[in-house]
Amino acid sequence: MRVAYYSPMPPERSGIADYSAHLLPALRERIEVEVAKRGRTRPSRGTDLALYHVGNNPDAHGWIVEALRKRPGVVVLHDFVLHHLVAGLTIGRRDGHGYLDAMEREGGVVGRLLAHGVLDKRIPPLWESRPEEYHLAGEVLDLATGLIVHSRYVEQRARAAGYEGPIWRIPHPAWPVAAAPSVSETQGRPLIGSFGYVNASKRIPQLLEAFARLRRERPQARLLLVGAVSPGFDLDRRLQRLGLSDEGIVREAYVEEERLWALMAACDVCVTLRSPTMGETSGSVIRQLSLGKPVVVSDVGWFAELPDDVALKVPVGADETETLYVALELLARDEQVRASMSAAGLELVRREHDLGRAADLYAAALEQAAGGEAVASAVLGDVAAAAADVGIEAGSPEASELARRLAEVELGR
Amino acid sequence: MRIAVCAPQVPFVRGGAEIMADTLVDELRAREHEAELVTVPFKWYPGTRVLDQSFLWRLLDLTESDGRPIDLVLATKFPSYVVRHPNKRVWVLHQFRQAYELDRTDLGQFSEEPRDRALRRSVQNLDRIALGEAKRLFATSRNVAERIERSTGLAAEVLPHPPQELPYRNDGYGDFVLSVGRLDRAKRNDLLLEAAALDPGLRVVIAGDGPDRDRLEALAAERGLNGRAEFPGRVDEAELASLYARCLAVYYAPVDEDFGMVPYEAFLSEKPVLTTTDAGGPLEVVTDGRTGFVTAPEPAELARAAGRLREHPDEAQAYGLAGKELAARVTWDSCIETLLS
Repeated sequence: MRVAYYSPMPPERSGIADYSAHLLPALRERIEVEVAKRGRTRPSRGTDLALYHVGNNPDAHGWIVEALRKRPGVVVLHDFVLHHLVAGLTIGRRDGHGYLDAMEREGGVVGRLLAHGVLDKRIPPLWESRPEEYHLAGEVLDLATGLIVHSRYVEQRARAAGYEGPIWRIPHPAWPVAAAPSVSETQGRPLIGSFGYVNASKRIPQLLEAFARLRRERPQARLLLVGAVSPGFDLDRRLQRLGLSDEGIVREAYVEEERLWALMAACDVCVTLRSPTMGETSGSVIRQLSLGKPVVVSDVGWFAELPDDVALKVPVGADETETLYVALELLARDEQVRASMSAAGLELVRREHDLGRAADLYAAALEQAAGGEAVASAVLGDVAAAAADVGIEAGSPEASELARRLAEVELGR
Repeated sequence: MRIAVCAPQVPFVRGGAEIMADTLVDELRAREHEAELVTVPFKWYPGTRVLDQSFLWRLLDLTESDGRPIDLVLATKFPSYVVRHPNKRVWVLHQFRQAYELDRTDLGQFSEEPRDRALRRSVQNLDRIALGEAKRLFATSRNVAERIERSTGLAAEVLPHPPQELPYRNDGYGDFVLSVGRLDRAKRNDLLLEAAALDPGLRVVIAGDGPDRDRLEALAAERGLNGRAEFPGRVDEAELASLYARCLAVYYAPVDEDFGMVPYEAFLSEKPVLTTTDAGGPLEVVTDGRTGFVTAPEPAELARAAGRLREHPDEAQAYGLAGKELAARVTWDSCIETLLS
């Protein structure tokens, strides 16, 4: 079986490019894969099935959606909320009508009116202010003959959006732990790390406040912020207001993979907060768990599905800063808790996020997607013919019984 | 208790799994349970027939019989465990191995066509659902348990089953290596014949019948083994016990076998077992240099191991006795107690 594979690939800087680069060698041991060249949207000849990696970044995934439009196939839905992607594919290409239509399709007349507001710049972009309300995944879901997702959260949201095709949940594979040089210059007791963009949706304001409080009691604590500061987010002013001196905060912008691993390895605790969530899985958190780091996460989306012994979860909302402070204080104080979370995290990665396992699940999903319908039709045909031979008619109670039994064992659909 | 033991039936074919199911019923009855064997013919080809025929089990209603409830269903081999029952326990002897480790081998069934690939996945999915329903799940060997765990994520308790009742005895260590079982390619009797071709002192007796018999006999003739390779066909219990009693050692090296009763039967006759590193289940009881020899799946290696036992019958005896100690621990008393607990 041969699969056409559409994904951003390195050297493109994207988490999904890294993901595919990691997955592909293992997948190729199981099935034949032909990786589509970036921008090639024509259906690939001689392949039995097409697989599309879809995320929220229009630059990385715009051409993939165009290819999907030409040949429906299995979609790996890395984010559920695709508003930013759709905005890029419409407004970003001067296709305001396309955006209006997409919003109307999901939100009816109200959606269309809101979209007008966005186009006229009368209201803030909805992909920033209300992405959870208007996910705009509808077109991609319509074109998907099957979905691969990383979390129950995305599975549930797809079902809630009316998706009726097959869904396979495949955990994000973990990377092998890189042997990075130790980072001796970055120390703290504890050293708390946050990796990713520095902005409000990563809950950096809440993190800074909780950390400032922790540092008043633990002057040797340090917060490592690794990632670019988003435009419009005034980090310096916030630090100044909270009295967080240079000693308390260590900042690094974009870092290469090796440095990333080294910095994570140096941390005692890693914090990854998010709200709103787009339904994404965090490659950062997967790396942190692979290193045996205790993690603190927002109690949303995929993050909420992490086992309780692996992650401390902070609900988004009124008591967020207080809860975050309590979590950080506990982890700063209790070495035993850190050790047991570390062991549980390593075990989770071994059990759930093994690359071979993920590749096995991909191969199974793709094989089912390519030939499953033919198998189901054949079984259904055989059973129906046998039933008809003995006078069982469609719609009869006996036929219903047969259908129920087939459904129990997932045959005939 | 009223217990329905479920096992598929391949008409006109009888092997270890069938013997085991019959014996299980007998042993349950001997312990004053009301036990009955429930069986449905199984044909696994062509195309989706494997699923159609599996589905037949799903249509059975074994909740009661003749107005009286059936307390427990004990299913054994694929696809009998597709049966439904509120108290279904499964003692997995075999999954449908063509969908697992035999796939993409000479013994496989599914091509590279998308439909065949999906069919194989459907069999695996059926396993996941049907075994997942079991109130308790046992596997006849660690090999089987590990395969179930890998393919379905389900944890099965390892519960080896005792070998068939035979008048086991030891009449010494003769000059032939015995192979027992259904003659199909998976049992890999050609390896034994090739070993005999390399060692003029090695005599083999291959007891049993099956679709591979003609090919094996032709191979023996081609290799000039006339007189040194015997094919007595299917033998009765007395003859089988006699062969075990008189042989030098027993050869048992199928490809990644689930388990098989042969090693235990050899051990109860105080005979060592010759197997190979890729034999799967037998490796759980055949330890190299303790209860037999484990060689690479190469004729020369196998011939060397058999030659060693021929030259050192004291070793053959020591290994056979060590095996007997192992086999004596696997009893129907302990199996049934575990199955019903």
